[in-house]
Order: sequence, then C-alpha cells, then structure tokens
Amino acid sequence: MKNFQIIKALSSSSAVASITKDTSVMFIAGGTNLVDLMKKNVVAPDKLIDINALDLKKIEFLNGKVSIGALAKNSQVAEDQSIKEKLPLLALALAAGASQQIRHMATVGGNMLQRTRCPYFYNTDMPCNKRVPKSGCGAIGGTNRMAAVFGTSDSCIAVHPSDMCVALAALDATVLVEGPKGKRQINFTDFHRLPGNTPEKDNTLEIRELITSIEIPDNNFTKNVHYLKVRDRSSYAFALVSVAVALELKNNVISNAKLAMGGVAHKPWRLTETEDFLKGKTASEDIFKQAGKLGMKGARGYGDNDFKLTLGANAITEALTIAASK
Amino acid sequence: MASKKTNENEVTPENSNSRRDFIKKSGLFTALALTPSTLVVASENKWDEKIAEYLETVPLSIEVNGKKHNLNIEPRTTLLDLLREQLQLTGTKKGCDHGQCGACTVHVNGTRILSCLSLATMQQNAQVTTIEGLSKGKKLHPMQEAFIKNDGFQCGYCTPGQIMSGIACIKEGHANSREEIKEYMSGNICRCGAYHNIVDAITEVKEGGKEL
Amino acid sequence: MSKTSNINRVDGFAKVTGSATYSAEYKTPGVVYACLVGSTIAKGRIKTIDTKKAEWAPGVLAVITHLNVDKPSGYEKAKDKHNFGQPLQIFKDDSVLYYDQPIALVIADTFERMRYAASLIKADYLKEEHATELKKAADKEKKVETDKGNDYHRGEHDGYKNAEVILETEYTIPTEVHNPMELANIIAKWEGNKPVLYTKSQGVEGTRRSIAGVFGVPVEDVEVHSEYIGGAFGMGLHTWPYEIAALIGSKKLNRPVKLVLHREQMFTNVGFRPYTIQKMGLGATKDGKLTGLTHEAVAMTSSYEDFMEGTVNMSRFIYDCANVSTRYRIVPLDTCTPIWMRGPGEATGSFALESAMDELAYKLNLDPIEFRKRNYAEKDLEQNKPWSSKFLLECYEAGMEKIGWKNRKNEPGSVKEGNWLVGYGMGTGTFGCYRSPTSVKAKFLADGNLVLQCSVNDMGPGTATMMTAIGAEITGFAPENVIIEMGKSGLPKGPTQGGSATTSSVGSAVHDACNLLVSKVMTLASQNAAFKGIPITDLTFENGLISSKKDNSKSISLASLINSNKPEDFEVENLSKAAEEAKKYSIYSFSVHFVKVLVNPNLGKIRLAHVVSCADIGTVINQKTSAGQMFGGAVGGIGMGLMEALEIDHRFGRPINNNFADYHVPVNADIEKQEVFFVNKKDPISNPMGTKGLGETALVGMAPAIANAVFNATGKRVRDLPITLDKIIETVKV
Repeated sequence: MKNFQIIKALSSSSAVASITKDTSVMFIAGGTNLVDLMKKNVVAPDKLIDINALDLKKIEFLNGKVSIGALAKNSQVAEDQSIKEKLPLLALALAAGASQQIRHMATVGGNMLQRTRCPYFYNTDMPCNKRVPKSGCGAIGGTNRMAAVFGTSDSCIAVHPSDMCVALAALDATVLVEGPKGKRQINFTDFHRLPGNTPEKDNTLEIRELITSIEIPDNNFTKNVHYLKVRDRSSYAFALVSVAVALELKNNVISNAKLAMGGVAHKPWRLTETEDFLKGKTASEDIFKQAGKLGMKGARGYGDNDFKLTLGANAITEALTIAASK
Repeated sequence: MASKKTNENEVTPENSNSRRDFIKKSGLFTALALTPSTLVVASENKWDEKIAEYLETVPLSIEVNGKKHNLNIEPRTTLLDLLREQLQLTGTKKGCDHGQCGACTVHVNGTRILSCLSLATMQQNAQVTTIEGLSKGKKLHPMQEAFIKNDGFQCGYCTPGQIMSGIACIKEGHANSREEIKEYMSGNICRCGAYHNIVDAITEVKEGGKEL
Repeated sequence: MSKTSNINRVDGFAKVTGSATYSAEYKTPGVVYACLVGSTIAKGRIKTIDTKKAEWAPGVLAVITHLNVDKPSGYEKAKDKHNFGQPLQIFKDDSVLYYDQPIALVIADTFERMRYAASLIKADYLKEEHATELKKAADKEKKVETDKGNDYHRGEHDGYKNAEVILETEYTIPTEVHNPMELANIIAKWEGNKPVLYTKSQGVEGTRRSIAGVFGVPVEDVEVHSEYIGGAFGMGLHTWPYEIAALIGSKKLNRPVKLVLHREQMFTNVGFRPYTIQKMGLGATKDGKLTGLTHEAVAMTSSYEDFMEGTVNMSRFIYDCANVSTRYRIVPLDTCTPIWMRGPGEATGSFALESAMDELAYKLNLDPIEFRKRNYAEKDLEQNKPWSSKFLLECYEAGMEKIGWKNRKNEPGSVKEGNWLVGYGMGTGTFGCYRSPTSVKAKFLADGNLVLQCSVNDMGPGTATMMTAIGAEITGFAPENVIIEMGKSGLPKGPTQGGSATTSSVGSAVHDACNLLVSKVMTLASQNAAFKGIPITDLTFENGLISSKKDNSKSISLASLINSNKPEDFEVENLSKAAEEAKKYSIYSFSVHFVKVLVNPNLGKIRLAHVVSCADIGTVINQKTSAGQMFGGAVGGIGMGLMEALEIDHRFGRPINNNFADYHVPVNADIEKQEVFFVNKKDPISNPMGTKGLGETALVGMAPAIANAVFNATGKRVRDLPITLDKIIETVKV
C-alpha cells in the first residue's frame, strides 16, 4: 500500500472542501472495503479524509420518514429496535451481509459505495474496464458465476454486492448528499447506475459530494416482508441472487408490493413491472410463480451465471411465498 | 469554521498540499542543513521521496489491554500490523489480511472488529482489547476456560479471534440458541473444523451466566 | 476409561491466551520484512524486470531476482537444468513455469514499506502458450512406474464388463487448496554457515534434509523450529521456494528475514489437491455381488515434478471383488506442484468409488449399506493378508442408528420435512496405518517431572497431548507433570507429521522409552540398600515412589534416588520401530460418514441437518482430541463436497478466486448438527497401544456421503464436485 496523508474532518463542509477534483483524495469511514482495495492496489489515494467525527450517525424517526445518518454502522441499524419494528426488511437485509465484525465497522454510506466483488476488478493483473477504463472486461468470456444478468454492457457485467441497498431500493429510499454546490437528494434507485460505456462510475455521486444520510418514507411493510439471500455457503458470503420483498396484504389480496433484487445487476434491481403485476392479485402459489417468471424477463446469462435465470425466478417466488406466509 | 481553535489534522487549504510542499514546510531542510549540491544528489537519488516517507508518520495515542501507548506510525499501518509487528502482541492473528476470515478480531471500545481492515491511525485514543488482555496472569477468562474444556480448537491459530468473537457474541445478545451462535460466529473461519466444540464452549459460558 | 483418556489439550493454555508462538512470531532482534513478487504470466521467460523503483523506495534493503541472486550451491548439483523432478529452484533463471511463480524477493525495514516496494516491481515477459486445463491436456498424459503409478490387476482385466449389471461413470474433483488459517511463514537467519529456520513445516527432519541439500551444508548444521503450526493439512510436507528465498535474503543481508505469504499466494505457491478425473466401471450380479471393479484416474501435476497419490488404491481392497483393475496417470500442467492434502488420494478416490457404489446400489434396487455388506471384504485381497482388526460393520451400525437410517427410503425425493426434501447418504473411508522409526528421549527430573523429547511437531491433532497421555499412563505421573519438548531440531528424531502415522510412530516411541526408563529406574532402585534382598519383581513404582509390594514401609522416592545418582541414570533415548509381525497383516483405519440433508430444489439450497462420522481407529488414546479431529475431518470433507474449488481462467492460466471471500470453506453455520463415534477397540498388531490413525480417514468418504444424500433427496446425481446449487436447481413450471 502506498503511503498517504490522513486528515480528520470536523465538519461535512470542510470534508467536502478538502476533496480535490482528481480522485487522489478519498473519504474514509468504516474502511472495510476501501482499506481492502488499497491493500490490493486497486485504488491508491494520496490522501484520505477521515469523516468518522462528523455528526452523521443518528437514526431518527421523523414525521413521515425515517432518517439514517450515513455514518450509522450497519449493525447499529440492523439491531435498532425501532428499525426492526418499522423497517424489518432493512434490518433483515443488513443482518444478511458480511459478518458481525464487519457490520460493526461498516457504515450505511460506505455500504452504498462498496465496489463490486468481480474477481477481475480485484486482480490487478487482469483486464477490467471498471478498474482501468478501456482495458477490457475479463468476466465476459471468463469465469463469471457471480456476474450480472440485467443491464449489462459490452464493457462490464459486474454486480453491486450490497444486501442493504437491495432493501433500500425496494423501500423507495432517498439519498441525501452534500457537495460544493450545496445539498441535494437522489432517489435511491437512481443512485447506482448501469455500466454502459463508463463502468468506472458506480453511481451518480459527483466528485466532492458526500452522502450525509438516507431517508425512507413511512410505509406499512412491517409484517409481510422477507429478504432472501442465496449464496454458496450458509453465511459470510456474497449473494449469488437476493430478493427483497415487501407486501401489504388485506384478506390475502396484495394491495401493495415492493420488490428488488441483488446479485443480478450493476445496481440494486427494482422489479416495478412485477410489482404492478402483483397489485390487486390474491396471493397464491401460481401468482408467485408467474411473478418469478415475469421478474426475470429480459435477463441474459454469460455462461457460468446462466443458472441465475432459473435461480432468480425461483428466488422471487420463494421470497414472495415466505413474505406472504408471515 | 466558527471557532479559531486549530487542529493539526483538521483540513485547511494550507495543509492540503503535495508531498514535496510538505517537506519544504516541514523545516527539515534547515534541520539537516542540506547544501544545494546535496539537494541535487538527493533529487537524483530520489532521497526526497525517502525523506518524505520518513516524515509522513502521524502520532497515535492508543490504549491496548489497559496500557497506554504514544506512538508515531505511518497512516497505512493497520491495527493488526501495529499489534503484531510493533507492539509484539502476536496473539491477534493474520489469516487473510482482507477481512475474510476473522482471525484478527479484537475489541475496540468494547466492540468486536477486524483489526486487519482498521487503520491504526483511525483508532486515536481507542481502548483495544486483544486476547492477551483477557486473562489475569494464570487466571483465565471464562471463555478461555470453556475453549480448553470443550476443545474448541486444534491448531490454535483462529482461536484468539474465535474467543474474542465468542465473548462479543454473548455480550451482544446473539447467543440465545446454537443456531444463533452459529450465524453470529460465521465471521470466524476455523479450517481445523472445530465449529461444534466452539459452539459448545460459547453455550457453556452463556449458560454459566458469569459476567464477561 | 483410563485417567488420561479425556485430558485437555496440553497446549491449550498457550493457545487460548495468545502466548503460543507460531513461526513468524518469534521475537527476533533486527528482523526485516520480506515478500515474494509473483509472475503475471503462466509460462514463458522474463524479458526484463524493473526493480529500480522498488530499490529506491523508502526502507528497502534488498531486491533479489534471478539476475542478482547468489545461487545456493545445491542448485548446481541438480540432476537436470530444467529442474525436472525436483522442487522449483527459486530465482534459478528467467523461466516462468506457473502463474505467480516468485520472480523477486523484496526486503525492507518495515512490513508496510516492504509491501509498497513490492508493488513497484514490473516485469516484461516472452510469453509461451500455457496449459492449465486438465481436460484439454490429455495428450500429455503419462504413466510413472512406481508403486502408486503402476497399473494393478486382480483376476480378469476390466472384468466388470462381463457382469450382469454394469455401471460406467465418470467423476471429477476440482483443485482444492489446503488453506490452513496460519499463512505459510518463516523467519530465516544464518549463524555463520548454519541456517536457522522458524518455519511452517510438518517435518523438522525433512526440512533439515532439503535445506541442507539446497545450501550444501551438513544436515546437522540446519536448525529448524516448528513448535506451533497453525494448521497445514499437508501443505507443510514440502519445502517450498519461499523458505529458500528467505534464507537467500538473510544470507545476503546477514540479518534475520521474516517472510509471510499473503493469502493469495497460499493458492498458487504451496501446493493443492490436484484436479482429478476418474472413470469407474463396476459390475455385479443381479443379487448384488460385485464381480468386477475398474478404477482409472488422471490427475494433474506440475511441469517440473511428478506428483502422485494413492487415488485408486482404496478400490483394490475395500470390497470383496475378484476382478479389479486400477490405472493412474498424471498430466503435467503449468502450475505449482500439488501436495498431499488431508486424506490424500483416498479422499479423491473415495468420492468416485463410494458414489459409484451408491449408483450401483440404486441400479440393483438395494439399500446402499446392504449392498456394501454383501461385498464386505473378510481379508485384504490386494495384499492377500488378514486384517489386523476391522470393525467397519460396527461403524455402519452405529451410524445408521444415530442418523436415523430407518427413515430413509430408497426412492429419491420420497421423504419430506415441510417443504424440504430429505435425503440420507453415506460414504466409506479408509487409510493405512503406518509406523515410522522414531526416537524419543524420556527423563525423570528430581523436581517430579517427566520430560519427553522428540523433534516431531504438532500442527493441531494433539500430538503433545497424546505423548503426555501415554507417558503419564506408563509412568503413573500426573499429566500436568509431563513436559513435552518437541517441534525443533536437536531433539531425538521424530517423523514427519502426516499419513495419520504420528500416534502410531511417536506414541509407540514414547511408550517404549517410558517403559525402558521405568525398568532402568527399577533396576537402579533394586540395588539400593533399602531394598536389599527384595527381588526386582517385588517392587512397584507408583506416584513417584518405589516400594516393596509386600512391605510398603520399605520405599524410596524417585526424587531421592535421582539426587543420590547421576542424572543420566534417569534418562533413556530409544529408537522405536514397527515389529516384524506387523508385516503379516493388513492394517487400516476405517470410517463411515453419514449425512442427512434437507434440500430446497427451487433454490438449490442444501442444509446439512445432521452429520455423523464413525470410525474404527483402534484404541482411542484421547476421546476429546480424537473427537475434535474427527469433527474437523468431517468439516474438511464438507468443504470438499459442497463448496471448495479453485477456479482458473484458462485464458490466462490464473486462478480467479484465490482469496477467502471467493474460495469458500465451511463456516460455523454450515453444519447444523454434528456427532462422532469411535468403536475404540484395540488393534492387536499395529503398535503397543493398538491405535490405527485418524487424521486422514476423518475426511475420506464425506464428499460421496453428501453426494449420495443429495441424490437420495433430489434424484440428481452430481459427479463433479463441489455440489453447488446450480447443479441441482430445478426449473419451476409455471
């Protein structure tokens, strides 16, 4: 690892001011992904701005919404009693990620900004357009068991690895950011982006912008929710496919449905068409199977990950079934 | 900033400079009384880089197992390497160095974290507890005793991490069933496969109800 | 139950307090930090290597490559300049034989500076076409005329083809990597011309010999310490290039050098279980009598060493079958050399054999255990010798009872628990009982302790605890009064830890040395005035007191005896060897793993609801540590069965999952309920204690047990490991 300067920011405005236009200055919060990437020489900042002293750790239940500070730890949110009651889907998704030690370190903002786990991105001896633009995509035509099946491009088939973000995408969250031009809000589903020809950009955050919090509008998804994570071992593994489901059921009729998937795209993959299909339907095995099939419409495999087409459909069905039976 | 109070690590336009500027400002040149010709040689041999690197350490005040340390470290030093290579506390293990095995688990301010992914400089004034800080002389911590009694290890290499994690698992309230223990201990890999006995040990300590 | 049959691990205190010192942890004044930089191609030559930036980097003390290395004198004596048939000679020349082969050694004053400097080294290559895919390199297949490599035939060649019922199948296991939790690591230094190594070796004496060969120094001049080993599972059975590199660096700088591989290098530079393709041909009568069995295996090796293991050997003797053929071939590929990994050969072979036995049982519509019982081998037909002991049937019975085998239905997919498909499966394992000549010194000290010394090491199975138990039993000393000195050179020579032979070899040597020591002391005591006129046969030795059986007022303490004689009168060093009688028998451990799986076919999720591992290992010296080893072997087999595979991108000849996040090994949550069982009956032949060995057979047979259970649950036969969810997932009909 290259040596670097590290500076503690005492206010978000000074943190933002210290980021220069080039990418050699970066924020650091929990560091669980950044330190790893620095050790692998995937990123090599000259300077880190330690933002942990900023007052961005609070979980607040405000009028009509829940606000979670960007520096709240993953475990803090997952185990917050009120979050468990009001946003159980978020708590479930957070608890499914990483290990407890990492959840104690990782922040909400950092979770959103974690980079892909695509092995070609991590191995600096390999081609990867995300790491080195125009170097080629190793995963296409290579070993791509983890790769995306939606929204891919010829440049990149990497997936976003977060569990938390899948739940936040389903729950219509908003991202609050602060930058040199002031504050702005980004819809969660617009925060991460598809790779296109610029896979080096994971999200729509602009340089010098800092995530300060996320907000989740109040909802009635307190009972019929499920986060289904399918992975290669029982715990401490990234998702092959995950599904976040939130349903509102009245007499077994689906009055509202939110669905998003992880492990299938460069961003948390919201299934709005499937949500629309489900609304007004009576919950049944058959409907959930149809939803599974619909949810995977347009998916495309790259060889090793072809199984995700079947798995994705089955996982949607399974997650809906479990959520509806709660 | 409203207050005039300055912090040497606080960001100001003045101190966000390049490495060489940093050297110029540091006053080191006068200290070393370098002559211009020496500077040419230094430049050719990239000595300025070397000097810069030597300069680029930061002060760290940290408490480990109740003992206060005032150190100067490179910002890139991880807490794990600080413990093992500088403080000679080799009980905390390096298994992967990338947050993928749990062998380096320590408690920072009472919370279990992975020391390999933690920059030491970010643990300013923190209280760190490592495996060496659990026992009082020959008097073992209940979790250490339970690991011995239940044979919760073989080679012993993941053991410090397992024990630190096991204590935290109970304190966090995640040891209410074998199933829950298994899930909340899954961040600690044991290649010898002592999982069954590790769960036995944690269960025994939890049921023993001793203060941890 | 003897008083030592359930003692705690004697190194437990050190291990739970962090005071156990592993190789890279020795406090060594002046130690500097080194790492290896690997090649980024799989085959070719180094055209240029730019080390300037690294040399200029802060704190760098040396950068060593093939261009500036002082080659160890032993390199010259190598029989073949291309290294063939011997370990890779690091920095010998510009050739690159595998991806991540070390091409430079970087040494700096701190860990951080060393790692940074290493990242600055860049090489250009003349690339050559590499071959890393076994399936596409069949033309390189070769037979090696050795005990393992020779073809074997009993009865008619490929006699299975004439049977009433025939099964022909092919099985694949991928490359698996040992990945002990402790990284491969060494502190190397020189004391004059004498190399000193603190290293991760499973054999102190073996490491001494190979280091002596490479550096051209007498074996006795090589000092090796491997007192604590954080697991190895076979990877410590080879002296690897990193150890040589550290010694080269230390010699150049005349300073101690610490070199710890990073986890990625553990996948590329210190061996692995080789990718193997196996063909099985089984023939039986309609009523389930095996009449023919052919087992063929093709495994990978490196381009510079012929690595072989006993993959097909188990098929020669485990079942009663008149016509058996086995063939074993290796294919050199552009990778590092494989090395035995826990349950070597047999673990690979048993996956094919025990899967095929299960498949044939279904074909015959027989319960898989019934099928095995009908082909139970009453003697070893390969060697034509009787078994020294065999309690395999007892293992079957115990396992069936514990797993609830009676709930199993032969029809796949016919048992359910809620929405989960239930499957039961089993697999048989075995491993030979070996005993190597071993020296142990035993001595009584005046302070009431017994010291046992041997250079053997303890990588985790509990060797020190076993030695303590045996020593305590024979001398009557309390276990806490037994001091073990082991794991370093200069002690009486012990064997390499491997092949499940440590208890048999070292335990026997402790047994013999302690008995000799007690006799020596009794003889000395009988000459003491206190026992005048009392024959030695009338003396007893208990609790450190020698007394007359008939008149216990006549006694003398060992301590006073020691104080009134020379210390050397109270020590014995003895070389212990297997008895000739043992050659008349076939001596094997046996294990049977039982698995109950719950499968969700829609998600391909396999839950290990219950795992039961039963073994006949002869006498169980220590129930606690043996159970631990059996639990652990089973977990290793679970990794093999469900998740472990090194994936190679053959376009580049590079592994792509060489880290612990992508190469999955089992975590705590993967096994829901686990039990072990030992028959615990003394083998009358194997050695004085009657043990047969455990470490290897604890893993052998687990992978097929899982595959068989998955088939029983789903009707899907997975013949290529690991059984990942994509191989069993069902398309839901809409």
